[in-house]
Amino acid sequence: MPDSIFQVEHLRLTYPARRGQPAATILDDISVDVARGGALVLVGPSGSGKSSLLRCLNRLEEPSAGVVRFDGRPIAGLDPRELRRRAALVQQTAVLFEGTVRENLMVRAPGVTLNASESRLRETLGEVGLDAALLDRDAAMLSGGEKQRVTIARALLRAPQALLLDEPTSALDPPNAALVVETICRLRDARGLSIVAVTHAPELVRRLGGALLYLVKGHVQPADERLQDFLAGMHP
Amino acid sequence: MTILDLSRWQLGLALLLVVVVAVISLRARLGLERDLLVGTIRTIVQLYLVGLILAAVFSAARWYWVLLILVVMAAVATHAAVSRLAKPIPGVYWIAAAALTISTAATLAYVIGVVVRPTPWWEPQYVIPIAGMILGNSMTSAALAGDRLQADLFTRRDEIEARLALGFSGREAVQPLVRSALRAAMIPTVNGMMTVGVVQLPGMMTGQILAGASPLTAIRYQIVVVFMLAVATALGSLLFVRLAVGKYLTPAHQLRRYLL
Repeated sequence: MPDSIFQVEHLRLTYPARRGQPAATILDDISVDVARGGALVLVGPSGSGKSSLLRCLNRLEEPSAGVVRFDGRPIAGLDPRELRRRAALVQQTAVLFEGTVRENLMVRAPGVTLNASESRLRETLGEVGLDAALLDRDAAMLSGGEKQRVTIARALLRAPQALLLDEPTSALDPPNAALVVETICRLRDARGLSIVAVTHAPELVRRLGGALLYLVKGHVQPADERLQDFLAGMHP
Repeated sequence: MTILDLSRWQLGLALLLVVVVAVISLRARLGLERDLLVGTIRTIVQLYLVGLILAAVFSAARWYWVLLILVVMAAVATHAAVSRLAKPIPGVYWIAAAALTISTAATLAYVIGVVVRPTPWWEPQYVIPIAGMILGNSMTSAALAGDRLQADLFTRRDEIEARLALGFSGREAVQPLVRSALRAAMIPTVNGMMTVGVVQLPGMMTGQILAGASPLTAIRYQIVVVFMLAVATALGSLLFVRLAVGKYLTPAHQLRRYLL
Protein backbone atom coordinates (compact mmCIF):
# COMPACT_ATOMS: atom_id res chain seq x y z
CA MET A 1 0.00 0.00 0.00
CA PRO A 2 1.42 3.43 -0.87
CA ASP A 3 1.80 5.69 2.13
CA SER A 4 0.33 8.63 0.28
CA ILE A 5 -3.43 8.89 -0.11
CA PHE A 6 -3.06 11.76 -2.60
CA GLN A 7 -0.11 12.47 -4.86
CA VAL A 8 -0.32 15.60 -6.96
CA GLU A 9 2.29 16.01 -9.70
CA HIS A 10 2.80 19.18 -11.75
CA LEU A 11 -0.88 19.99 -11.66
CA ARG A 12 -2.08 22.83 -13.85
CA LEU A 13 -5.61 24.22 -14.11
CA THR A 14 -6.64 26.78 -16.70
CA TYR A 15 -10.01 28.11 -17.71
CA PRO A 16 -10.52 28.64 -21.44
CA ALA A 17 -10.96 32.15 -22.83
CA ARG A 18 -14.56 33.28 -22.84
CA ARG A 19 -16.36 36.15 -24.48
CA GLY A 20 -14.65 39.24 -23.11
CA GLN A 21 -12.41 37.29 -20.73
CA PRO A 22 -8.92 35.99 -21.52
CA ALA A 23 -7.89 32.43 -20.60
CA ALA A 24 -7.05 32.26 -16.89
CA THR A 25 -4.44 30.14 -15.13
CA ILE A 26 -5.90 29.10 -11.79
CA LEU A 27 -3.18 26.67 -10.66
CA ASP A 28 0.33 26.27 -12.04
CA ASP A 29 2.79 23.42 -11.50
CA ILE A 30 1.49 22.21 -8.14
CA SER A 31 3.14 19.12 -6.65
CA VAL A 32 2.24 17.88 -3.19
CA ASP A 33 1.64 14.63 -1.30
CA VAL A 34 -0.90 13.89 1.40
CA ALA A 35 0.16 11.12 3.76
CA ARG A 36 -2.34 8.35 4.47
CA GLY A 37 -4.06 9.28 7.71
CA GLY A 38 -2.30 12.64 7.60
CA ALA A 39 -3.45 16.17 7.00
CA LEU A 40 -2.68 18.89 4.50
CA VAL A 41 -3.86 22.42 5.13
CA LEU A 42 -4.13 24.81 2.18
CA VAL A 43 -3.66 28.46 3.07
CA GLY A 44 -3.33 31.64 1.08
CA PRO A 45 -5.17 34.81 0.19
CA SER A 46 -8.58 34.54 -1.45
CA GLY A 47 -8.38 33.84 -5.17
CA SER A 48 -5.12 31.92 -4.73
CA GLY A 49 -6.60 28.66 -6.03
CA LYS A 50 -6.96 26.77 -2.73
CA SER A 51 -10.53 25.65 -3.33
CA SER A 52 -9.76 24.80 -6.96
CA LEU A 53 -6.90 22.54 -5.86
CA LEU A 54 -9.22 20.85 -3.38
CA ARG A 55 -11.80 20.36 -6.15
CA CYS A 56 -9.15 18.82 -8.40
CA LEU A 57 -8.61 16.11 -5.77
CA ASN A 58 -12.15 14.71 -6.14
CA ARG A 59 -12.28 15.75 -9.79
CA LEU A 60 -14.99 18.35 -9.58
CA GLU A 61 -12.44 20.30 -11.62
CA GLU A 62 -10.56 18.77 -14.53
CA PRO A 63 -6.81 19.56 -14.42
CA SER A 64 -5.43 20.88 -17.71
CA ALA A 65 -2.12 19.11 -17.11
CA GLY A 66 -0.42 16.99 -14.48
CA VAL A 67 -1.54 13.94 -12.53
CA VAL A 68 -3.51 13.41 -9.35
CA ARG A 69 -3.23 9.95 -7.78
CA PHE A 70 -5.66 8.65 -5.18
CA ASP A 71 -4.59 5.57 -3.27
CA GLY A 72 -1.81 5.05 -5.82
CA ARG A 73 -4.01 5.26 -8.94
CA PRO A 74 -4.40 8.21 -11.30
CA ILE A 75 -7.89 9.61 -10.71
CA ALA A 76 -8.42 10.09 -14.44
CA GLY A 77 -8.78 6.28 -14.58
CA LEU A 78 -11.29 6.05 -11.72
CA ASP A 79 -15.06 6.45 -11.93
CA PRO A 80 -15.49 10.01 -10.62
CA ARG A 81 -18.61 8.96 -8.68
CA GLU A 82 -16.70 6.26 -6.83
CA LEU A 83 -13.76 8.62 -6.21
CA ARG A 84 -16.12 11.22 -4.71
CA ARG A 85 -17.63 8.70 -2.31
CA ARG A 86 -14.15 7.73 -1.13
CA ALA A 87 -12.84 11.31 -0.97
CA ALA A 88 -15.80 13.18 0.49
CA LEU A 89 -16.15 16.94 0.10
CA VAL A 90 -17.52 19.19 2.83
CA GLN A 91 -18.47 22.55 1.33
CA GLN A 92 -18.10 25.99 2.84
CA THR A 93 -21.84 26.42 3.19
CA ALA A 94 -23.62 23.25 4.21
CA VAL A 95 -25.97 22.10 1.44
CA LEU A 96 -28.95 20.23 2.85
CA PHE A 97 -31.80 19.14 0.63
CA GLU A 98 -35.50 19.49 1.32
CA GLY A 99 -36.69 17.02 3.91
CA THR A 100 -35.68 15.64 7.28
CA VAL A 101 -32.18 15.01 8.61
CA ARG A 102 -32.80 11.29 8.01
CA GLU A 103 -33.69 11.91 4.37
CA ASN A 104 -30.59 14.05 3.98
CA LEU A 105 -28.33 11.40 5.45
CA MET A 106 -29.82 8.77 3.13
CA VAL A 107 -29.62 10.86 -0.05
CA ARG A 108 -28.07 8.74 -2.78
CA ALA A 109 -27.92 8.41 -6.51
CA PRO A 110 -30.59 6.18 -8.11
CA GLY A 111 -29.49 2.56 -8.10
CA VAL A 112 -26.75 3.05 -5.50
CA THR A 113 -27.02 1.10 -2.27
CA LEU A 114 -26.13 2.60 1.08
CA ASN A 115 -25.83 0.80 4.37
CA ALA A 116 -28.04 3.10 6.42
CA SER A 117 -29.71 1.05 9.09
CA GLU A 118 -31.37 2.92 11.94
CA SER A 119 -28.54 2.05 14.30
CA ARG A 120 -25.91 3.20 11.82
CA LEU A 121 -27.69 6.53 11.30
CA ARG A 122 -27.84 7.10 15.07
CA GLU A 123 -24.24 6.04 15.52
CA THR A 124 -23.03 8.34 12.75
CA LEU A 125 -24.95 11.32 14.12
CA GLY A 126 -23.33 10.55 17.46
CA GLU A 127 -19.91 10.59 15.80
CA VAL A 128 -20.43 14.19 14.73
CA GLY A 129 -21.75 15.10 18.17
CA LEU A 130 -25.44 15.34 17.26
CA ASP A 131 -28.37 13.84 19.11
CA ALA A 132 -30.23 11.03 17.34
CA ALA A 133 -33.45 12.91 18.17
CA LEU A 134 -32.57 15.21 15.26
CA LEU A 135 -33.16 12.43 12.73
CA ASP A 136 -36.76 13.35 12.08
CA ARG A 137 -36.25 17.12 12.35
CA ASP A 138 -36.74 19.26 9.22
CA ALA A 139 -33.19 19.90 8.00
CA ALA A 140 -34.02 23.53 7.19
CA MET A 141 -34.66 24.21 10.91
CA LEU A 142 -31.15 23.30 12.08
CA SER A 143 -28.52 25.82 13.13
CA GLY A 144 -25.55 26.47 10.83
CA GLY A 145 -23.23 24.32 12.94
CA GLU A 146 -25.72 21.46 13.10
CA LYS A 147 -26.18 21.61 9.33
CA GLN A 148 -22.45 21.44 8.72
CA ARG A 149 -22.16 18.43 11.06
CA VAL A 150 -25.07 16.72 9.25
CA THR A 151 -23.18 17.12 5.96
CA ILE A 152 -20.11 15.57 7.60
CA ALA A 153 -22.26 12.68 8.88
CA ARG A 154 -23.71 12.26 5.38
CA ALA A 155 -20.19 11.94 4.00
CA LEU A 156 -19.19 9.47 6.75
CA LEU A 157 -22.06 7.14 5.86
CA ARG A 158 -20.27 6.50 2.57
CA ALA A 159 -17.24 5.27 4.52
CA PRO A 160 -14.74 7.67 2.92
CA GLN A 161 -10.98 7.36 3.23
CA ALA A 162 -10.40 11.08 2.96
CA LEU A 163 -12.28 14.25 3.86
CA LEU A 164 -11.88 17.34 1.71
CA LEU A 165 -12.89 20.40 3.71
CA ASP A 166 -13.53 23.69 1.91
CA GLU A 167 -13.49 26.35 4.65
CA PRO A 168 -15.86 24.25 6.75
CA THR A 169 -16.07 26.78 9.59
CA SER A 170 -15.97 30.12 7.81
CA ALA A 171 -19.75 30.48 7.60
CA LEU A 172 -20.19 29.68 11.32
CA ASP A 173 -20.08 31.74 14.51
CA PRO A 174 -17.16 30.98 16.89
CA PRO A 175 -18.95 28.49 19.20
CA ASN A 176 -20.33 26.50 16.25
CA ALA A 177 -16.98 26.71 14.45
CA ALA A 178 -15.28 25.29 17.54
CA LEU A 179 -17.73 22.37 17.63
CA VAL A 180 -17.08 21.58 13.95
CA VAL A 181 -13.28 21.76 14.48
CA GLU A 182 -13.67 19.46 17.46
CA THR A 183 -15.75 17.02 15.38
CA ILE A 184 -13.27 16.93 12.50
CA CYS A 185 -10.28 16.31 14.75
CA ARG A 186 -12.06 13.59 16.69
CA LEU A 187 -13.09 11.83 13.47
CA ARG A 188 -9.59 11.99 12.10
CA ASP A 189 -8.26 10.16 15.14
CA ALA A 190 -11.15 7.70 15.46
CA ARG A 191 -11.43 6.74 11.80
CA GLY A 192 -7.86 7.33 10.64
CA LEU A 193 -9.19 9.69 7.95
CA SER A 194 -6.85 11.62 5.71
CA ILE A 195 -7.79 15.27 5.63
CA VAL A 196 -7.18 18.05 3.14
CA ALA A 197 -8.56 21.36 4.37
CA VAL A 198 -8.83 24.88 3.06
CA THR A 199 -9.18 27.07 6.08
CA HIS A 200 -8.55 30.47 7.58
CA ALA A 201 -9.22 29.19 11.10
CA PRO A 202 -5.98 29.10 13.13
CA GLU A 203 -7.58 26.67 15.56
CA LEU A 204 -8.22 24.14 12.79
CA VAL A 205 -4.70 24.63 11.36
CA ARG A 206 -3.18 24.11 14.82
CA ARG A 207 -5.33 21.10 15.75
CA LEU A 208 -4.96 19.29 12.42
CA GLY A 209 -1.19 19.69 12.40
CA GLY A 210 0.12 18.07 9.25
CA ALA A 211 1.63 19.87 6.32
CA LEU A 212 0.89 23.42 5.19
CA LEU A 213 0.73 24.43 1.55
CA TYR A 214 0.93 28.15 0.96
CA LEU A 215 -0.63 29.22 -2.35
CA VAL A 216 -0.46 32.66 -3.93
CA LYS A 217 -2.03 33.29 -7.34
CA GLY A 218 -2.00 29.60 -8.19
CA HIS A 219 1.65 29.00 -7.27
CA VAL A 220 3.15 27.26 -4.26
CA GLN A 221 5.12 29.72 -2.15
CA PRO A 222 7.96 28.72 0.16
CA ALA A 223 6.90 28.72 3.80
CA ASP A 224 8.87 31.85 4.66
CA GLU A 225 8.15 34.76 6.95
CA ARG A 226 5.29 35.91 4.69
CA LEU A 227 3.46 32.71 5.57
CA GLN A 228 4.14 33.33 9.25
CA ASP A 229 2.71 36.82 8.81
CA PHE A 230 -0.25 35.37 6.98
CA LEU A 231 -0.94 32.85 9.74
CA ALA A 232 -0.51 35.52 12.39
CA GLY A 233 -2.91 37.79 10.54
CA MET A 234 -5.63 35.16 10.07
CA HIS A 235 -8.94 36.01 11.59
CA PRO A 236 -9.32 34.54 15.04
CA MET B 1 -71.91 35.31 -44.11
CA THR B 2 -69.43 37.48 -45.95
CA ILE B 3 -66.19 39.09 -44.87
CA LEU B 4 -66.17 42.87 -44.62
CA ASP B 5 -63.01 43.94 -46.44
CA LEU B 6 -61.23 46.82 -44.72
CA SER B 7 -60.35 49.76 -46.96
CA ARG B 8 -57.12 51.75 -46.55
CA TRP B 9 -59.26 54.56 -45.26
CA GLN B 10 -60.56 52.30 -42.51
CA LEU B 11 -56.98 51.23 -41.65
CA GLY B 12 -56.15 54.92 -41.37
CA LEU B 13 -58.96 55.31 -38.83
CA ALA B 14 -57.47 52.42 -36.81
CA LEU B 15 -54.20 54.36 -36.77
CA LEU B 16 -55.98 56.95 -34.60
CA LEU B 17 -55.91 54.37 -31.80
CA VAL B 18 -52.11 54.50 -31.82
CA VAL B 19 -52.31 58.29 -31.64
CA VAL B 20 -54.22 57.89 -28.38
CA VAL B 21 -51.35 55.77 -27.04
CA ALA B 22 -48.85 58.41 -28.18
CA VAL B 23 -50.80 61.14 -26.38
CA ILE B 24 -50.86 59.08 -23.19
CA SER B 25 -47.13 58.48 -23.49
CA LEU B 26 -46.45 62.21 -24.00
CA ARG B 27 -48.68 63.44 -21.20
CA ALA B 28 -47.49 60.85 -18.67
CA ARG B 29 -43.90 61.33 -19.92
CA LEU B 30 -43.40 57.60 -20.51
CA GLY B 31 -40.84 58.30 -23.24
CA LEU B 32 -42.31 55.57 -25.44
CA GLU B 33 -43.16 57.74 -28.48
CA ARG B 34 -40.10 56.75 -30.50
CA ASP B 35 -40.56 53.01 -29.90
CA LEU B 36 -44.25 53.41 -30.57
CA LEU B 37 -43.55 55.05 -33.93
CA VAL B 38 -41.05 52.36 -34.93
CA GLY B 39 -43.44 49.67 -33.69
CA THR B 40 -46.33 51.10 -35.69
CA ILE B 41 -44.30 51.28 -38.89
CA ARG B 42 -42.93 47.78 -38.38
CA THR B 43 -46.40 46.39 -37.75
CA ILE B 44 -47.66 47.83 -41.02
CA VAL B 45 -44.60 46.94 -43.14
CA GLN B 46 -44.06 43.45 -41.71
CA LEU B 47 -47.69 42.43 -41.96
CA TYR B 48 -48.04 43.82 -45.51
CA LEU B 49 -44.93 41.89 -46.55
CA VAL B 50 -46.18 38.70 -44.93
CA GLY B 51 -49.57 39.21 -46.57
CA LEU B 52 -47.99 39.64 -50.00
CA ILE B 53 -45.73 36.61 -49.57
CA LEU B 54 -48.56 34.41 -48.29
CA ALA B 55 -50.85 35.52 -51.11
CA ALA B 56 -48.13 34.59 -53.61
CA VAL B 57 -47.49 31.20 -51.98
CA PHE B 58 -51.21 30.44 -51.78
CA SER B 59 -51.74 31.19 -55.48
CA ALA B 60 -48.52 29.43 -56.60
CA ALA B 61 -49.69 26.30 -54.74
CA ARG B 62 -46.36 24.42 -54.71
CA TRP B 63 -45.18 22.27 -51.77
CA TYR B 64 -41.60 23.58 -51.97
CA TRP B 65 -42.72 27.17 -51.44
CA VAL B 66 -44.57 26.06 -48.32
CA LEU B 67 -41.47 24.23 -47.11
CA LEU B 68 -39.32 27.30 -47.73
CA ILE B 69 -41.69 29.46 -45.68
CA LEU B 70 -41.55 26.91 -42.84
CA VAL B 71 -37.73 26.89 -42.88
CA VAL B 72 -37.58 30.70 -42.74
CA MET B 73 -40.09 30.72 -39.88
CA ALA B 74 -38.05 28.12 -37.97
CA ALA B 75 -34.84 30.13 -38.47
CA VAL B 76 -36.45 33.32 -37.16
CA ALA B 77 -37.95 31.45 -34.19
CA THR B 78 -34.55 29.89 -33.40
CA HIS B 79 -32.89 33.27 -33.40
CA ALA B 80 -35.60 34.76 -31.21
CA ALA B 81 -35.45 31.92 -28.68
CA VAL B 82 -31.65 32.16 -28.40
CA SER B 83 -31.44 35.93 -28.24
CA ARG B 84 -33.46 36.01 -25.01
CA LEU B 85 -30.85 34.00 -23.09
CA ALA B 86 -28.96 36.03 -20.48
CA LYS B 87 -25.63 34.28 -21.15
CA PRO B 88 -24.35 32.41 -24.20
CA ILE B 89 -24.37 28.61 -24.20
CA PRO B 90 -21.90 26.99 -26.60
CA GLY B 91 -23.66 25.61 -29.67
CA VAL B 92 -26.98 27.00 -28.51
CA TYR B 93 -28.11 27.83 -32.06
CA TRP B 94 -27.98 24.19 -33.09
CA ILE B 95 -29.67 23.14 -29.87
CA ALA B 96 -32.53 25.59 -30.35
CA ALA B 97 -32.83 24.75 -34.06
CA ALA B 98 -33.01 21.02 -33.29
CA ALA B 99 -35.49 21.48 -30.44
CA LEU B 100 -37.81 23.76 -32.43
CA THR B 101 -37.58 21.80 -35.69
CA ILE B 102 -38.18 18.40 -34.12
CA SER B 103 -40.99 19.53 -31.82
CA THR B 104 -42.71 21.47 -34.62
CA ALA B 105 -42.30 18.76 -37.25
CA ALA B 106 -43.66 16.06 -34.95
CA THR B 107 -46.65 18.12 -33.81
CA LEU B 108 -47.39 19.41 -37.30
CA ALA B 109 -47.19 15.94 -38.83
CA TYR B 110 -49.78 14.62 -36.39
CA VAL B 111 -52.15 17.58 -36.61
CA ILE B 112 -52.01 17.86 -40.42
CA GLY B 113 -51.56 14.20 -41.33
CA VAL B 114 -53.84 12.57 -38.76
CA VAL B 115 -56.27 15.14 -37.36
CA VAL B 116 -57.07 17.82 -39.98
CA ARG B 117 -56.07 15.96 -43.21
CA PRO B 118 -56.36 18.70 -45.83
CA THR B 119 -55.91 17.88 -49.54
CA PRO B 120 -53.21 18.24 -50.67
CA TRP B 121 -51.48 17.59 -47.34
CA TRP B 122 -49.26 20.66 -47.80
CA GLU B 123 -52.24 22.98 -48.40
CA PRO B 124 -50.68 26.34 -47.34
CA GLN B 125 -53.94 27.72 -45.97
CA TYR B 126 -53.73 25.08 -43.20
CA VAL B 127 -50.05 24.23 -42.91
CA ILE B 128 -48.58 27.73 -42.62
CA PRO B 129 -50.80 29.21 -39.89
CA ILE B 130 -50.79 25.98 -37.87
CA ALA B 131 -47.00 25.63 -38.14
CA GLY B 132 -46.68 29.27 -37.11
CA MET B 133 -48.69 28.73 -33.95
CA ILE B 134 -46.71 25.59 -33.06
CA LEU B 135 -43.36 27.28 -33.68
CA GLY B 136 -44.35 30.34 -31.67
CA ASN B 137 -45.27 28.22 -28.65
CA SER B 138 -42.20 25.98 -28.92
CA MET B 139 -40.05 29.07 -29.15
CA THR B 140 -41.56 30.73 -26.09
CA SER B 141 -41.39 27.57 -24.02
CA ALA B 142 -37.79 26.83 -25.02
CA ALA B 143 -36.81 30.39 -24.12
CA LEU B 144 -38.66 30.24 -20.78
CA ALA B 145 -37.13 26.88 -19.92
CA GLY B 146 -33.65 27.99 -20.99
CA ASP B 147 -33.90 31.16 -18.97
CA ARG B 148 -34.98 29.31 -15.86
CA LEU B 149 -32.34 26.61 -16.33
CA GLN B 150 -29.54 29.17 -16.64
CA ALA B 151 -30.66 31.13 -13.60
CA ASP B 152 -31.00 27.95 -11.52
CA LEU B 153 -27.66 26.52 -12.62
CA PHE B 154 -26.04 29.66 -11.26
CA THR B 155 -27.95 30.05 -8.00
CA ARG B 156 -28.05 26.32 -7.22
CA ARG B 157 -24.48 25.44 -8.30
CA ASP B 158 -23.43 24.45 -4.77
CA GLU B 159 -26.43 22.15 -4.52
CA ILE B 160 -25.49 20.49 -7.83
CA GLU B 161 -21.91 20.01 -6.69
CA ALA B 162 -23.13 18.67 -3.34
CA ARG B 163 -24.93 15.92 -5.27
CA LEU B 164 -21.91 15.30 -7.48
CA ALA B 165 -19.74 15.05 -4.36
CA LEU B 166 -22.16 12.42 -3.00
CA GLY B 167 -21.61 10.27 -6.07
CA PHE B 168 -24.46 11.37 -8.33
CA SER B 169 -23.91 11.42 -12.08
CA GLY B 170 -24.03 14.79 -13.80
CA ARG B 171 -27.52 14.17 -15.23
CA GLU B 172 -28.80 12.96 -11.86
CA ALA B 173 -27.33 16.00 -10.10
CA VAL B 174 -29.14 18.49 -12.37
CA GLN B 175 -32.42 16.55 -12.57
CA PRO B 176 -34.29 18.76 -10.05
CA LEU B 177 -33.28 21.84 -12.07
CA VAL B 178 -34.40 20.26 -15.32
CA ARG B 179 -37.74 19.54 -13.71
CA SER B 180 -38.27 23.08 -12.46
CA ALA B 181 -37.24 24.54 -15.85
CA LEU B 182 -39.81 22.33 -17.61
CA ARG B 183 -42.48 23.26 -15.10
CA ALA B 184 -41.73 26.96 -15.57
CA ALA B 185 -42.09 26.53 -19.33
CA MET B 186 -45.31 24.51 -19.19
CA ILE B 187 -47.26 26.17 -16.39
CA PRO B 188 -48.49 29.13 -18.54
CA THR B 189 -49.84 26.70 -21.15
CA VAL B 190 -51.52 24.43 -18.61
CA ASN B 191 -53.00 27.44 -16.79
CA GLY B 192 -54.17 28.79 -20.15
CA MET B 193 -56.13 25.56 -20.69
CA MET B 194 -58.09 26.29 -17.50
CA THR B 195 -59.44 29.65 -18.65
CA VAL B 196 -59.50 29.33 -22.44
CA GLY B 197 -62.61 30.91 -23.88
CA VAL B 198 -63.75 32.18 -20.49
CA VAL B 199 -61.40 35.10 -19.95
CA GLN B 200 -60.89 35.89 -23.63
CA LEU B 201 -61.54 34.23 -26.94
CA PRO B 202 -58.38 32.79 -28.45
CA GLY B 203 -56.97 34.73 -31.42
CA MET B 204 -57.43 31.98 -33.96
CA MET B 205 -61.04 31.38 -32.97
CA THR B 206 -61.72 35.12 -33.07
CA GLY B 207 -60.19 35.24 -36.54
CA GLN B 208 -62.30 32.38 -37.82
CA ILE B 209 -65.49 33.89 -36.44
CA LEU B 210 -64.64 37.29 -37.99
CA ALA B 211 -63.96 35.47 -41.27
CA GLY B 212 -67.48 34.09 -41.20
CA ALA B 213 -67.04 30.62 -39.74
CA SER B 214 -69.69 29.32 -37.39
CA PRO B 215 -68.61 29.49 -33.72
CA LEU B 216 -69.17 25.73 -33.54
CA THR B 217 -66.64 25.14 -36.30
CA ALA B 218 -64.29 27.66 -34.74
CA ILE B 219 -64.29 25.99 -31.31
CA ARG B 220 -63.48 22.60 -32.84
CA TYR B 221 -60.38 24.06 -34.44
CA GLN B 222 -59.58 25.87 -31.22
CA ILE B 223 -59.76 22.65 -29.20
CA VAL B 224 -57.30 21.02 -31.61
CA VAL B 225 -55.08 24.10 -31.37
CA VAL B 226 -55.04 24.11 -27.56
CA PHE B 227 -54.01 20.44 -27.39
CA MET B 228 -51.52 20.91 -30.19
CA LEU B 229 -49.90 23.88 -28.45
CA ALA B 230 -49.69 21.96 -25.20
CA VAL B 231 -47.65 19.22 -26.83
CA ALA B 232 -45.54 21.73 -28.78
CA THR B 233 -44.72 23.50 -25.52
CA ALA B 234 -43.80 20.28 -23.76
CA LEU B 235 -41.69 18.89 -26.61
CA GLY B 236 -39.94 22.20 -27.36
CA SER B 237 -38.90 22.85 -23.76
CA LEU B 238 -38.03 19.21 -23.06
CA LEU B 239 -35.72 18.90 -26.07
CA PHE B 240 -34.13 22.29 -25.49
CA VAL B 241 -33.43 21.74 -21.78
CA ARG B 242 -32.17 18.19 -22.23
CA LEU B 243 -29.74 19.27 -24.94
CA ALA B 244 -28.72 22.54 -23.27
CA VAL B 245 -28.04 21.08 -19.83
CA GLY B 246 -25.58 18.66 -21.41
CA LYS B 247 -23.40 21.63 -22.37
CA TYR B 248 -22.91 22.41 -18.68
CA LEU B 249 -21.78 18.89 -17.80
CA THR B 250 -18.70 16.87 -18.71
CA PRO B 251 -18.41 13.11 -19.22
CA ALA B 252 -16.55 13.00 -15.89
CA HIS B 253 -19.69 14.28 -14.10
CA GLN B 254 -18.39 17.80 -13.59
CA LEU B 255 -20.25 21.11 -13.70
CA ARG B 256 -18.61 23.57 -16.11
CA ARG B 257 -18.62 26.46 -13.65
CA TYR B 258 -16.93 28.85 -16.05
CA LEU B 259 -20.05 28.78 -18.25
CA LEU B 260 -22.32 29.97 -15.44
